[in-house]
Amino acid sequence: MNRVALAAVALALVIAPGGGAKGQARLTVLAASSLTDVFPLIDGSESYSFAGSNQLAFQIRHGAPADVFASASPSYVQKLFRDGLVERPRTFASNALVLAVPRSNPAGVHAIWDLRDKKVRLVIGSPAVPIGDYTRRVLRRLGLASVLDKTVSQEPDVKSIVGKLALGEADAGFVYRTDVRAASGRLRAVAIPAWAQPAVRYQVAVVRSSRSRPAARRFVRLLSTPRARRLLIQAGFTVP
Amino acid sequence: MRRAAFTGLLAVALTFTGAFLLLPVLAIFLEVSPGRLLDELQGDVALDAARVTLKTNGIALALIVLFGTPSAYLLATRRFRGRTLVVTLVELPLVLPPAVAGIGLLVAFGREGLLGGTLHAAGISVGFTQLAVILAVMFVASPFYIRTAIAAFEAVDETMLDAARTLGAGPARTFFRVALPLAGGGLGAGAALAFARGLGEFGATIMFAGSLQGVTQTVSLAIYQEFDVNLDAALAISALLVLVSGALLLSVKVVSARAPFVWTSSPRFARSG
Repeated sequence: MNRVALAAVALALVIAPGGGAKGQARLTVLAASSLTDVFPLIDGSESYSFAGSNQLAFQIRHGAPADVFASASPSYVQKLFRDGLVERPRTFASNALVLAVPRSNPAGVHAIWDLRDKKVRLVIGSPAVPIGDYTRRVLRRLGLASVLDKTVSQEPDVKSIVGKLALGEADAGFVYRTDVRAASGRLRAVAIPAWAQPAVRYQVAVVRSSRSRPAARRFVRLLSTPRARRLLIQAGFTVP
Repeated sequence: MRRAAFTGLLAVALTFTGAFLLLPVLAIFLEVSPGRLLDELQGDVALDAARVTLKTNGIALALIVLFGTPSAYLLATRRFRGRTLVVTLVELPLVLPPAVAGIGLLVAFGREGLLGGTLHAAGISVGFTQLAVILAVMFVASPFYIRTAIAAFEAVDETMLDAARTLGAGPARTFFRVALPLAGGGLGAGAALAFARGLGEFGATIMFAGSLQGVTQTVSLAIYQEFDVNLDAALAISALLVLVSGALLLSVKVVSARAPFVWTSSPRFARSG
């Protein structure tokens, strides 16, 4: 075999899509960061791309090849639906916000009101990501909007908030209840009063430009099977 | 004839490479009108980001040059056991993924990191401050300077250094009066490269320093944030970064193209020395 052929084979190996052993292409699922742990448990055979919902929506709008979009907030997926880019979205899970602190709790935050009274290095999501939007709504409802002045960083997605808290770099941050569970003991949750909770609904939709829409619809249906619902509940979500 | 055909093939390849590299850069300028770009650059986010970037990168570059120059001189002029290992260590940040740099800095200088307790006792808090941005920039950009500086010092004609010593100059005087001026062009090029790399620093900074407008949000972080909020502003800051980085690279080329002529005219040095 000459060198050119070798190079061609190497290139083909690099470019060829992974999987496909059963002759069936893997779906590309774009999903909110907070679904990072649970989606592969529900279906381990698809390829996932986890990021902030707003970024994923931007990618779909600009023609990124995708089959399914699962968003941490209805707003992004509904906007795509109105513009005819995805099929009708459906709600498959809900989540709640918590105030997370490192296990060592360096600032001694035990209640949400401590944010107002104590010296706290607060990390929140940027206004454009769902978690950042929810955080601002919660603080307004609690009359704690001034606490935003204690922000030391605005992160691009919820996993970055979790990381800064897990390493003890920040004192407190708003994340989803499921993130605290996923952080395996490195974080502690401080509850937010139920009356101040926003409705954190996760919606999923099939992307219209998908080349395997039947399989994508099967994936969406899979999310409401008893097994998937059980896994979602175990991860800390509530299911409709 | 065959030679011409071959050159033609090479030219085709170059055309593709050039077009591929040029297109994304050009698209940034074509997506929005120049007037709009200028307007967006006067926004709070862009101005704050420019200020933060210039301050942190200026300090970082000064520290890189201050510590990097003597380090590079030592590595270029002395041979010792473990030298290869030290050079490899200096070059390591070049190939490390930014995420690795970020998490490394966190567990080293972070509040619960290796030096966290010591720094805290000294009253220094690194996380989420401009100091964190400076450290991140220094970590990723210093190899660009030190590598170039080593090469520049190695290119200095050793007979010059010998001559200086023969004429009675001590090692420090030789360094400051002979080696440093002779390597000046290379050092300048290295500093420009390091500065350009520092301007574009993103991954380590967002992990280690976070992102807060007016405090730690550098131009790269501002682009990432505005990408969600205001795409025009993101494009405007990107365009500015393209221009500045391009100018820096070009200045490196101009400096290093001229430098050798100065270095190799040994008779003149012999006379003026």
